[in-house]
Amino acid sequence: MGHAAEAVQHGHGGHDGHEAWGTSVWPFVISFGVLALAAAFMFQFVYHKPFAAVIALGLGIPMILGGVAGWVSEAMGHGEGLSFGAMGWFILAEAMIFMSFFAAYWFMRLDVAQVWPPAGTVPLPRVLPLVMTAVLVASSLTIHRAEHLMHVGDQGGFIRWLLVTIALGAAFLGMSAYEWNHLIHDGFTIATNAFGTIFFSVTGLHGSHVLVGLAIFLAGLVPAMKGNISEGYWRTAGLYWHFVDIIWFFVVSQVYYW
Amino acid sequence: MNLKEWIFTTDHKRVGILYLIGSIAAFGVAGIMALLMRAELSAIGPTVTADPTTYNVWLYAHGAIMILGFQIPALTGFFANYCIPLMIGAKDVAFPRVNALSVWLFYVGVILALLTFFIPDPPDVLWTGYPPYSTITAGNTALYTFTVLILGFASIIGGVNFLTTVAFMRAPGLTWGKLNIFVWCILGAFVMQLIFVPVLGSAVTLISFDKYLGTHFFDPAMGGDVLTYQNLFWFYSHPAVYVIFLPFIGVVFEIIATFARNPVFNYKAAVYGGIGGIVLISGEVWIHHLYVSGMPDWLRIGQMVSTLLISVPVGLLVISLVGTLYKGAISFETPMLYALGVVFLFLIGGLTGIPLAITALTVNLSETYYVVGHFHYVMAVAGTFAIFGGVYYWFPKMSGRMYNELWGKIGFWVTFVGVNIVFWTMMDIGARIGLPRRYYDYAQFPEAASAQHLMTIGAAILGVGFVIALLNWIIGAAKGPKAGDNPWGSPSLEWSTVSPPPHGNWPSPPSVSEEWSPYAHGRR
Repeated sequence: MGHAAEAVQHGHGGHDGHEAWGTSVWPFVISFGVLALAAAFMFQFVYHKPFAAVIALGLGIPMILGGVAGWVSEAMGHGEGLSFGAMGWFILAEAMIFMSFFAAYWFMRLDVAQVWPPAGTVPLPRVLPLVMTAVLVASSLTIHRAEHLMHVGDQGGFIRWLLVTIALGAAFLGMSAYEWNHLIHDGFTIATNAFGTIFFSVTGLHGSHVLVGLAIFLAGLVPAMKGNISEGYWRTAGLYWHFVDIIWFFVVSQVYYW
Repeated sequence: MNLKEWIFTTDHKRVGILYLIGSIAAFGVAGIMALLMRAELSAIGPTVTADPTTYNVWLYAHGAIMILGFQIPALTGFFANYCIPLMIGAKDVAFPRVNALSVWLFYVGVILALLTFFIPDPPDVLWTGYPPYSTITAGNTALYTFTVLILGFASIIGGVNFLTTVAFMRAPGLTWGKLNIFVWCILGAFVMQLIFVPVLGSAVTLISFDKYLGTHFFDPAMGGDVLTYQNLFWFYSHPAVYVIFLPFIGVVFEIIATFARNPVFNYKAAVYGGIGGIVLISGEVWIHHLYVSGMPDWLRIGQMVSTLLISVPVGLLVISLVGTLYKGAISFETPMLYALGVVFLFLIGGLTGIPLAITALTVNLSETYYVVGHFHYVMAVAGTFAIFGGVYYWFPKMSGRMYNELWGKIGFWVTFVGVNIVFWTMMDIGARIGLPRRYYDYAQFPEAASAQHLMTIGAAILGVGFVIALLNWIIGAAKGPKAGDNPWGSPSLEWSTVSPPPHGNWPSPPSVSEEWSPYAHGRR
């Protein structure tokens, strides 16, 4: 950049021109981690080279996890508190992803299918989804409780209820994995028929969001244990978690009980 | 200059310039693909390659890279990044690190798109990726999926960032009614990106699910439906036209207001009726891309009405543009030539779109060169001219230096002549002899040979015009004369700081008075 830039920074109060430009390595690291994940998928499924896929995964996952951890520890508590509003926009985009999957489902079920459920479908469990719903709703309440305690300044209570929330989210994923395992064991897979396609895609999509929510909690947990608790971060994380909870009602009603 | 400070930068201006470099590189690659196709088509029979699949890969790369790697990132990446914080008097965007993440994800997407030329079995699915072909081809559909997904995600987080920035970080006194119209255009574009990109992301994910994980979303034999894909795809990809249109018309507004030295005519109608109307209607017209895919008549008629209806808000914007010129003290510097060129090209493109909206005509014109000529006028060429005009317009702000005015004008006229030769001819042979689009060869249409030859010459001319502009920028940035902080004499906020602006943009945050407006030009 030209000399004019430095001229103003002089008038700025003796800032060193080199420090003035903000930098962060983590966005760069995460981006190329994503590239490695894409490469891993293509090695595995397109070119059938599992060893190369494992190497790419081994590069990509640490880059993304390390990048997120570095980002959080660098930025936690330094934002301008605008992330809560931004999450609202992000949730709009997320909701559209679920809408697309549901649209594909409705096309299949209402427009194409002669009989539903199609041949090859095994009966889904009736009770487990109710338990999963209860667990997820409970976790929404516990994170709300944790936020309240954070707001009144009870750090220990905040961390306790946050840990309860993480445990409930993990339990939800565990039950989902148990159910998938059970169904696949009974011969009902993503490739079985149109309903298998929808069932595993939609519950998988939702499960991946639970996983991301847990990742957000865990990424913030380490700084929080050290006493660095950013109210903006946790309110935003809580909003995302409530969204994941609300979407589950649509999943459970559309996929399990319709 | 410190390379590490550039690569790891979180400053919105540097992120913007990284976007510009990446998207211009993508433009170059996609342009070469276009020239290769034109060379192939210059005569009947094999000329450049004897392998039609290679031609399909060029066709895929040209479309996918031009739209996803050049136009959208240049408009919503470069211009939004560089101009918006400056125009609203902010130090930076709301989330500078997220901004850096979006530019590097964009680079990853471009890298994936460029891998097309280096991997075995490159994708050959056009930029649309229609199943069932995309789920059975030997080409690497996953590369297409990941390119779109990653560029789309970069776009979404960029949208979240800019909507938050404009909502919360405007300078004191800068009310919503005083925003530059470009800022409104970017807001409209990003609202559409947030609503529609996720649907495209889902659609392209589902084709890879079908191809690689064994699902049946688009497999009719197993209860799927290929029309699901077409609906999801165009639910994004029609609004994508407006995602490109709004920012480019915003750039044109800024240029025309400055060089006509007039305030934007009918600002409120343009913002609420024009931009707001487009955002509202954009989601209800995608089905016109499926006119010949099979649908009930009542749906065809409804889609025809809503498609024609969207010309109302677009018309409001064009009236505002032309009204801004009225009684203006107009001067014809290079950015202004490009801006007026956009108005001209966009009018041709818009008017030739009306026959395509009308179902009775479109069943005949569909899948011919007429369609290709139309959308190149209305979106590809008009958008690219706006990008070039915008880069010229903000060039002195970015570099602190001036480009060469004479070569700028020469570059414009060469390009302008070239595009009209290519795309007018294209519409002409599409409408007159019904030459089908996308084909590798046209032995059944010998009467198209001379037109094809002419278009290849035109493509070479327009290529030369773009190269002149690129060289002009590079030479201007390196050794152009000093431009000063406000060479165009615009009252808009981005010109109130030094060129190039420092980190933080202003020594102290600006505030604006009651009487200030970005278009309150003094008399001259």
